[in-house]
Amino acid sequence: MDPELSPDQRLLRETAERFIEASLPLAKLRELIEAGGEVDPAYRREAAEVGWFAFLAPESLGGGSVSDAGVLDTVVLAELRGRYLQPGSFIDTNLAVATLSREGSEEQQAKILPDLIAGEAAVAWAVADPSGDWSGPAGVHAQAVPGGYRLTGRKGLVVEAQSAQWLLLTANTPEGPTQFLLPVSTPGVGVEELRGLDLTRRLCEVHLDGAVVDGSAVLGRPGQAGAAVDAQIRLAAVLGAAESAGAMQYLFDLTLQYCKDRVAFGRPIGSFQAIKHQLADSSLALEMSHAVVTAAAQAVAAQDRGDQEAARAAHAASLANAFVSDAAIELAHNCWQHFGGISYTWEHDFHLYLRRLTVDAALYGSPTWHRERVCQLSGV
Amino acid sequence: MASETAFGRPDPDEPDLEEYRLRARQWLAANLQHREAGPAGVVRGGGTHSAEEYLPERALQRKIYEAGYAGINWPKEYGGQGLSDAHARAFAREAAPYRMPDLGHAGGTTYGPVSQTLLRHASPDFLARHVPRILAGEELFVQLFSEPDAGSDMAGITTRAVRDDEGSGWLITGSKVWTSGASYADYGLCLARTNWDAPKHRGLTWFAVPMRGKGMSIRPVREITGAAEFCQEFLDEVWVSDDEVIGEVDQGWTVAQTMLLVERGAGRDDPVNMPETDPAGIDPFLVDLVRAAGRAQDPVARQALARIHTADWARGQLGRRITGLLRTSDKPASGIASYWKLAAGVYNPQRARLMLEIGQGQPLVWRDDAGQRAALEYLNSRVWSIAGGSNEMQRNAISERVLGLPREPSFDRGRPFSEVQRSAREWLEKN
Ligand SMILES: Cc1cc2nc3c(=O)[nH]c(=O)nc-3n(C[C@H](O)[C@H](O)[C@H](O)COP(=O)(O)OP(=O)(O)OC[C@H]3O[C@@H](n4cnc5c(N)ncnc54)[C@H](O)[C@@H]3O)c2cc1C
Ligand SMILES: Cc1cc2nc3c(=O)[nH]c(=O)nc-3n(C[C@H](O)[C@H](O)[C@H](O)COP(=O)(O)OP(=O)(O)OC[C@H]3O[C@@H](n4cnc5c(N)ncnc54)[C@H](O)[C@@H]3O)c2cc1C
Repeated sequence: MDPELSPDQRLLRETAERFIEASLPLAKLRELIEAGGEVDPAYRREAAEVGWFAFLAPESLGGGSVSDAGVLDTVVLAELRGRYLQPGSFIDTNLAVATLSREGSEEQQAKILPDLIAGEAAVAWAVADPSGDWSGPAGVHAQAVPGGYRLTGRKGLVVEAQSAQWLLLTANTPEGPTQFLLPVSTPGVGVEELRGLDLTRRLCEVHLDGAVVDGSAVLGRPGQAGAAVDAQIRLAAVLGAAESAGAMQYLFDLTLQYCKDRVAFGRPIGSFQAIKHQLADSSLALEMSHAVVTAAAQAVAAQDRGDQEAARAAHAASLANAFVSDAAIELAHNCWQHFGGISYTWEHDFHLYLRRLTVDAALYGSPTWHRERVCQLSGV
Repeated sequence: MASETAFGRPDPDEPDLEEYRLRARQWLAANLQHREAGPAGVVRGGGTHSAEEYLPERALQRKIYEAGYAGINWPKEYGGQGLSDAHARAFAREAAPYRMPDLGHAGGTTYGPVSQTLLRHASPDFLARHVPRILAGEELFVQLFSEPDAGSDMAGITTRAVRDDEGSGWLITGSKVWTSGASYADYGLCLARTNWDAPKHRGLTWFAVPMRGKGMSIRPVREITGAAEFCQEFLDEVWVSDDEVIGEVDQGWTVAQTMLLVERGAGRDDPVNMPETDPAGIDPFLVDLVRAAGRAQDPVARQALARIHTADWARGQLGRRITGLLRTSDKPASGIASYWKLAAGVYNPQRARLMLEIGQGQPLVWRDDAGQRAALEYLNSRVWSIAGGSNEMQRNAISERVLGLPREPSFDRGRPFSEVQRSAREWLEKN
């Protein structure tokens, strides 16, 4: 957690934490996982009352934030969601809220945005192709047809698309990348739910088999979606890193306590230097992760002030995501080691965190992808 | 907890500060020269310097002192200006483009950890005698802590101080080593044992020892880089007056805590001495290196370049977080500051290795400065992993003071030093 949170943000954090503890603590999440079930839509509506989907829309459109920078407030929530491994569309819906607020048509803002802010509907962001290229249009082609477009191709690593009402999708057109916001129920759209490493969320492949949409599904100007996708990547990279930092903190605290309590050779294992030093290294990785999340969130909050700020935000988001993703896996493996045999059990929470952190590290761009992006942004 | 070492006045009103800034700007423009491009600060391996080479630097320090810009946030009664930390920061920012005195390693210790420690622990009489001369560039202090047989275990030193026959001073005998800047310094802040029967940490005392005093011999030690920037000293009954004792006799461990804390980076004007790094600014030296190696399009080199930049930037942000934690956390500053020191000790070597990876052959053989600079950075990359508290000492501090993990069973704490020595000898004989 950022030591510099404002009183209002602290209150937001407390309220959101109470909501999670009451509605979906780890024990309940486990029941859902065992039953192969999904979280009730009421969870999303109640979360919306805490403001989960409101902070990136202006008040004039029914949103509003607790501090003057909605990104920073959203980061507070993202950390908590990571901490408690919360399922459901959060980052993706917030990206859509931000994009609609910036460049949605009046009709989109009137018809779709209120439902998203109220938690009545959720969005799945279909941006990566199945091989993990997050640059935007990869994988799907949009062909102009009378009155609209025909969409063909595949998107991968789409989070919780099976329960989303809307797809936020970027496709290639001859004029350039174009963004669409279309109902998941559009004929020709197929959502394939895949089994995967992370047990807390579902990742899907989205198939577009000649799905036809009319012009009202275009978000922003046709062929001009590059800037919108860049903005989404920045935001997703920061929020994804924040979720990881939250999960890392919980896992680290759990492990630290275990090392204080577990006795071997007549001493707590946390008194052996081999373990103490690894915990110190994990703790450094954790502190640096919190630090870069805060810095990147502040940079993204300031991105509209000018070209220099925009460039800083783009760099900072990718740097933060690359750093945290690597640090998260390193930390999780150290914890794995400290737990000994018990880490290998289904019952222990450790594996839920390992799974989530490993998948989070690849979502919204792998560290390798973000590092390459930093080189490109820097003109190297 | 940050107040453990800070000593400036509270921050002033903005208008006052603005006026000060403007005056400083004018004075700097009229009196100092612009510095050449490139990183400021002292690099190890830059070459072996003689005492004479530092005379012009000392003169420059005096000029700044006389104009009232030395010791800006140090107490007035000891020759400082008695202004706030914000004033000191404002001047430092204004002065960044100018060539400031380069007093080498001794300058770094004198105006950093040594003076901060003196200001907290030395007597008013001592401070009135030494601090104005320090600020005027007349007295440079080095750190006489480490010995051939005691480094990380600083409380294990065996240099001894005994009372002289007149009872007005002390005679110090022993050897110190790795003393950066000793070849041209004036004083050494020296840790010596004054009681061998007291528990190990309760028989230590600090002295200001004249480096040119009778009985002191100094031998340069050539470093890994080839340059001789630290020295070994042999002290043979070097006489030091009672007035030159810092803190209480036998209570030197308390003073040592301040010193170690400051060395880790807490309590400086800029608490972690870290520039705010620009996320969009990859170190231009590295970009040149990757281009010169013809590898700008090589994904392996690009990844390595971005890895360095990611870690550089993350360390800068860690500095900001530590500043916040020092203000808000209930954990001791001595533990929190260790994060910064450990980050330097862990990431500098990684950085240097990645740099070799990027530059391929260049840092191995060279005809230009870039290759040599990369090679030097490689050789210097473990300075902060070892000096001023090794990585392992920082990991101990973090795990015990911040994470609350138990200390390991110890063989020396609370036992008379003579006994500790005996049992260590037995241990060696058994194995
Ligand atoms: C897949 C699997 C299969 C297994 N099959 C069998 C089996 O068939 N039969 C059987 O009897 N057992 C079996 N085991 C148990 C296995 O041998 C133990 O898990 C192992 O010995 C570690 O003990 P522990 O789990 O109690 O961890 P602990 O001993 O509690 O160790 C926890 C952590 O503390 C560290 N640690 C402990 N002491 C020290 C010290 N002095 N210094 C530094 N670090 C220390 C450990 O290295 C570890 O990282 C199995 C375990 C696994 C994971
Ligand atoms: C470039 C440079 C400049 C220096 N300048 C100065 C100076 O100006 N003045 C001065 O007084 N000193 C100076 N030093 C000395 C420095 O402070 C010591 O080198 C440092 O404290 C380590 O001590 P040592 O070299 O004796 O190593 P040792 O203490 O012998 O350590 C050897 C290894 O053992 C490890 N180790 C030791 N104890 C433990 C433990 N309890 N648990 C786990 N691991 C342990 C250490 O981490 C290290 O890896 C300088 C050193 C260098 C490299």
